[in-house]
Amino acid sequence: MGHSNWPEWIYVAVVVALLCYVGAEAWNIENLVEHVPEDAEVIKVTGQQWFWSFEHEDGTKEIGELHLKKDHAYKFEITSKDVNHNFNIHEYVVLLDAVPGQINTVWFSPNEAGEFDIQCREYCGLIHYNMRALLIVEDV
Amino acid sequence: MSKVFHLSIIIATLTIIPMVSLAFAAETAGEYLDRKAEIWNLFFRMMTVAFVVGGVIAGTMVWQVWRFRESNPKAKPTPYEEKGEL
Amino acid sequence: MVLELKKARPVWQIMFSTHHTDVGLMYLIFSILAMFIGGAMAIALRVELFAPGAQLIEDSMSFNRLFTTHGTTMIFLFLLPSASAVGNYLVPIMVRYKDMAYPKLNAIAFWMIPPAAVLVWLGMADFGWYANPPYSVISSPAPAAEMWIFGLKVLGVSSILGSINFVVTILKCKHPDLSIGKVPLLAWSFLSSSIIVLAAMPTFAAALLMLLTDRLGATGFFNPAVGGDPIAYQHLFWFTFHPEVYVLVIPAIGMMYEIIPRFSRRPIFSQGSGIFAFVMLSLVAFASWAHHMYATGMTFTEKTVFMIGTLAAVPASAMHVFNFLATMWNGRIKFATPMMWAVGGIALFFAAGAGGVVNSAMPLDFITHDSYWVVGHFHLFVFGTIAFGTIGFIYYLFPYVTGRMYNEKWGVVHFILVFVGACITFFTQHILGLYGMPRRIYDYPEIDSWIQMNALISVGAMIMLVGMGIFLANLIYSSAKGKPANLHDPFGLGGKYYYPYEQRNPHH
Repeated sequence: MGHSNWPEWIYVAVVVALLCYVGAEAWNIENLVEHVPEDAEVIKVTGQQWFWSFEHEDGTKEIGELHLKKDHAYKFEITSKDVNHNFNIHEYVVLLDAVPGQINTVWFSPNEAGEFDIQCREYCGLIHYNMRALLIVEDV
Repeated sequence: MSKVFHLSIIIATLTIIPMVSLAFAAETAGEYLDRKAEIWNLFFRMMTVAFVVGGVIAGTMVWQVWRFRESNPKAKPTPYEEKGEL
Repeated sequence: MVLELKKARPVWQIMFSTHHTDVGLMYLIFSILAMFIGGAMAIALRVELFAPGAQLIEDSMSFNRLFTTHGTTMIFLFLLPSASAVGNYLVPIMVRYKDMAYPKLNAIAFWMIPPAAVLVWLGMADFGWYANPPYSVISSPAPAAEMWIFGLKVLGVSSILGSINFVVTILKCKHPDLSIGKVPLLAWSFLSSSIIVLAAMPTFAAALLMLLTDRLGATGFFNPAVGGDPIAYQHLFWFTFHPEVYVLVIPAIGMMYEIIPRFSRRPIFSQGSGIFAFVMLSLVAFASWAHHMYATGMTFTEKTVFMIGTLAAVPASAMHVFNFLATMWNGRIKFATPMMWAVGGIALFFAAGAGGVVNSAMPLDFITHDSYWVVGHFHLFVFGTIAFGTIGFIYYLFPYVTGRMYNEKWGVVHFILVFVGACITFFTQHILGLYGMPRRIYDYPEIDSWIQMNALISVGAMIMLVGMGIFLANLIYSSAKGKPANLHDPFGLGGKYYYPYEQRNPHH
């Protein structure tokens, strides 16, 4: 029966050091992206089987399409009417669960004009695979 | 043993402290942070670490498999084999 | 050991036996059967996803039912029973006791599995293996959901009974001359994983009951329409099933600890660090469950806590890898089939672990959550590591169970095909996830990169299918017509490398 020796201790120390690095980096970036700018415009996002609807701050409502302006900050308030969904704009790395009875928030600022896919990433039943919407970022 | 232990603690400390201070030294959020860039950059930094470590581990494994296979001309019976015990 | 085919016994004698090798044999046969059933479902899913549009499966509901049943089958009906099979065969021998501590309980624990399997397979629930409420409460069709809930309930009880048996056998029935530190690492792995089951499983048992009464309309624990909290279910579920990952992976590592020293012709580098890493893993297993739930709207603090808990599991896993590599160092390694599976398993274990570390960094969850990255990542664990260790161990046990030798050449072909297929399939799934494809979807839009990668993944799955076909043929043919094995040294390793495998079933 063998025993541990010094290479193993050094190896474990290196692993722990790398993990500390990973943890610190992740903490730092998470800290940055969670800081919501104060002038972010609130968009209410509601998921339901199987489409997305949006409400702007001025009361305009949209279904299946979301029109935003380039280089503005937006804060999504995401909720659901029936089961869990997940609001995802992969291109802008925006992702958060839509949970009934709960409002989750995430913010972003689109820096490119164009059309981007919005999809549901949490299994929600029959047409989950096609629960999509379109994000249209307009150059102002 | 304790020497080894102290040595490893010193090495660990020397590597951890600069890394942590580097990570925390970043400035606080500007008004419109480019979320996409920040997150993907983090991802690529993590993947760099993962692939470097993976390269070392996988390289070691491939070399071991090549070197210590019994069909390698340099292979010789292990001491435990000669004694016929384990 | 049992040599069933040399001295055939009536089937009923094995079925009603409580001897540990007989129960082990039943576990083994059942788990191999379940593996092929679950594998067939995976192939159907991959054929469907080969290209956009309907290929094989007509509607999304059938697809949803298939992936749910595939996951449930592989985890509860293949991996858990196959680990129990190995434990039943070897743990009593390793602690030098005549049988498991409670032989009848052992047989009962096995016989609870087939009825549960029938419930799961006939029901085909559609809510994913995690039965996420409120979907599973308000939207999922009956009676499939109820059948799944009852099936899982029975499987949970079975797994608790089996675990009690392992813990008592190892701690109370080991030979007085054998100190706990000298108990072989394979038996240690069963001790650790059984203790995790005992601590984790009751939580899920409670959650299942709550889910059932919710579905019946009697309560509203998880139904927000009547004031419940769906997130509470996710906490209960992952509190059981993150540790469950370790329940599956720890015995697989134990199996590698059995194979690698044998075929390297050296003792394990450090028994001490192996035991330490097992104990560490069973403790930190309970510190990371909510990393599955970053996207449910957790606060920064919660995320940080669970990220640290997740990273804490890495040093122990890394110690196992070190132990394996250091054992092989300076050995004279015979690359027979079991050793190939073990070494391939370690390589993929590392890849899965590295992916897990990257994944645990909280902001990266925004990229990878519920995407194909996650599918690739956990398949590297459950297939690349756990099933690799298990399949290697099935080859390793084969001569002792049947008295015959499997066909070595076809064993190697099987390994190469499955290893290559697994790399193609699961690494491509990681990349596909980075391109944003969600998991659990029946169809996808015509995005060029998605189409190409899905086709590649399906090709990898087909390569694995061919390998597994060879495996099945090898098992059946060799157990009937294979060369008789030299039971003192079936793999030609020389020396006294074995535990007393001569131990016979008294029924012979």
